[in-house]
Amino acid sequence: MQTQIMRAGPQNIEVHYLRAGSGDPLLFLHHMLGLHGAEAALAELSRHYDVIAPYAPGWGPAKDQLPEIDPGPLDITLHQCDVLDALGVDSAHVVGTSIGAWMAAELAAIQPARVRSLVLVNPLGLWLEDTPGEDPFAQHPGYPSRMQFAEKSMRETLLINGRDKMDAHVEELLNLRASAKFLWPIPDTGVKRRLSRIRARTLVVTSGKDRIVPAAYGPAWQQAINGATLQTLPEAGHVAELEQPSAFADLVHGFLRAAH
Amino acid sequence: MKFHWFNLMPWPYLPDDFAEKHRSVWVDVDSRLFDPVKANRVYNDYLDLLEFAEDLGYDGLGINEHHQNAYGLMPSPQLMAATLARRTREASILLLGQSLALYDPPTRVAEEMAMIDCISGGRLISGFPVGSSMDDNYACGVNPATLREKYLEAHDLVRRAWSDPDVFAWNGKHYKLRYVNLWPRPIQNPPPIWIPGGGSVETWDFCAQHHYNYSYLSFSGYIRGAQLMEGFWRRMEELGCEFNPYQAAFAQQICVAETDAEAQRLYEKHARYFFSRCLHIHPGYADAPGYRTEATIRAGLVTQMAGQSSAMNQAAALSWQEMIDKGYIIAGSPDSVCEQMERVAKTLKIGHLVCLLHFGDMPNELCRYSTEMFAKHVMPKVRPIWNEYEDHWSPKPMPREDRAVPRAVTMPEVPPVGAPARIAGAR
Repeated sequence: MQTQIMRAGPQNIEVHYLRAGSGDPLLFLHHMLGLHGAEAALAELSRHYDVIAPYAPGWGPAKDQLPEIDPGPLDITLHQCDVLDALGVDSAHVVGTSIGAWMAAELAAIQPARVRSLVLVNPLGLWLEDTPGEDPFAQHPGYPSRMQFAEKSMRETLLINGRDKMDAHVEELLNLRASAKFLWPIPDTGVKRRLSRIRARTLVVTSGKDRIVPAAYGPAWQQAINGATLQTLPEAGHVAELEQPSAFADLVHGFLRAAH
Repeated sequence: MKFHWFNLMPWPYLPDDFAEKHRSVWVDVDSRLFDPVKANRVYNDYLDLLEFAEDLGYDGLGINEHHQNAYGLMPSPQLMAATLARRTREASILLLGQSLALYDPPTRVAEEMAMIDCISGGRLISGFPVGSSMDDNYACGVNPATLREKYLEAHDLVRRAWSDPDVFAWNGKHYKLRYVNLWPRPIQNPPPIWIPGGGSVETWDFCAQHHYNYSYLSFSGYIRGAQLMEGFWRRMEELGCEFNPYQAAFAQQICVAETDAEAQRLYEKHARYFFSRCLHIHPGYADAPGYRTEATIRAGLVTQMAGQSSAMNQAAALSWQEMIDKGYIIAGSPDSVCEQMERVAKTLKIGHLVCLLHFGDMPNELCRYSTEMFAKHVMPKVRPIWNEYEDHWSPKPMPREDRAVPRAVTMPEVPPVGAPARIAGAR
């Protein structure tokens, strides 16, 4: 998918985003490692939807926007609204993974009218004392995201993926830095207090091999959101859409299609 | 050249199998290995050594800050500085660390440093490190994405708090204080400021901009350090700073004995304790995402500890002679040490040497011996190396005759073991 650039919001900030397909708009909010443009799951979803996947402020080409964004829910939610406004989209299906699932939940709680249906995959943002999961940041600096994949070697094949090693490593560290701004030192964002405001039909997904968000978080999210359903991707790790693109796309499409 | 006696204050009772059984000496080190009763002697021995170093003519007494760390028992270097301010007379108090971003409000640091400067009669050197990722991010929970912003803002706030005679409001991004009005204020205005760093390019520019001393605190020795210091001096030249060796300090492990063979016999096991146990750090704590800036990552400068954990893994496997040849440690007879010291001074071009004469589980008596050998047989020969330069980075204390003299301490007689202690007011 080609990266496109537009301006959004009262400050006219630059937004880099991927877009493909046609149909109902589907806003995809990425995980801690951002986007790289070759996500097979997004390509599959674009056969049915108008897929819009923006880089959040602080990630990828928007790395320099990090100092300007407040780590609470307000700035990031206003930003998502600005993105939808700039594209002329009133409401969309919103699919978020990892930290993007937290952002999606905030959007659905704070601006319910803009979210037609909601899919939260391996969501961060709650904290269960007895099941903390692995610390996504306290990892070897040489391969800091390895813990996020079901198999260690997948970082090389799915994330670095033939790119220049230094560039890919720097981007990986900067994307984790952006994640840390919102989630350090404990990924408890306070979203728990707002989840009961969500009105959209919601699917919560956990992955069988996710070491960052263990499966115990699935029921916690499901119970906090009215009428939410829970499914699992047994073979995926934390970055499910990179690891199991077809299973991911099928699950999302199956849920959204049934919503009609 | 100036010599500072510096002690990390390591815990000397880590078990032989520490590195096999434990994943890190820092952050999540097992607290069951600490014994507060033994610590009574450990702390007092270490403070005795610092005071002893003053008697031998060391220019400064160095202390620093670490948290949840079994090789550095000083979460609060100010407490150490406070006791040194009372119990010493002449030496600089080299407080190489208050990680500014850890204190909210950071004016607390400005206050405490002012107190120490007043009590000591203006002998404080004030170190402002960013702090390690282990300390700042993991032990103290500071967000790595905003650590440097906070540090820089805290620095500006402390500097202004020391210098602005009027009450002012500070409406910063990270700190908001309606009334800043420092009481007390330091004698020196400001105390000399040293920036301990591991090797981030921004720190060099910061030192150049503010005319601060850059202190490279590495444990991997002067040969590895030479490359980094070369980068520092090149950058200073690019920025138009006139060369002065006193603008840089370097930390080095040193031990001295009658002969080279004797040095190995006395010190090798303690050096091994340091390299294999004290620097056994879980790599996951070495470098939180955002701790290093993009420029530093791209410059290929590894973070102090990531570099060190790999360097240290090598050091632990080296023979004694290799440790010396590779510069991890300067060791031997006075003549051998003098020769190595001259190489340090000339290759790194540093005017301040932070002497790590205590390392690992070295006992008090042995450390006194090495400290004395260095002071008597090495210091006098190396001291004149930079005589033609003026040191702008040492304290300018009050004249000796004007300084307060603390009350002499007369220790009460200790009752013999078994005899009842005399209690005031008891019959």
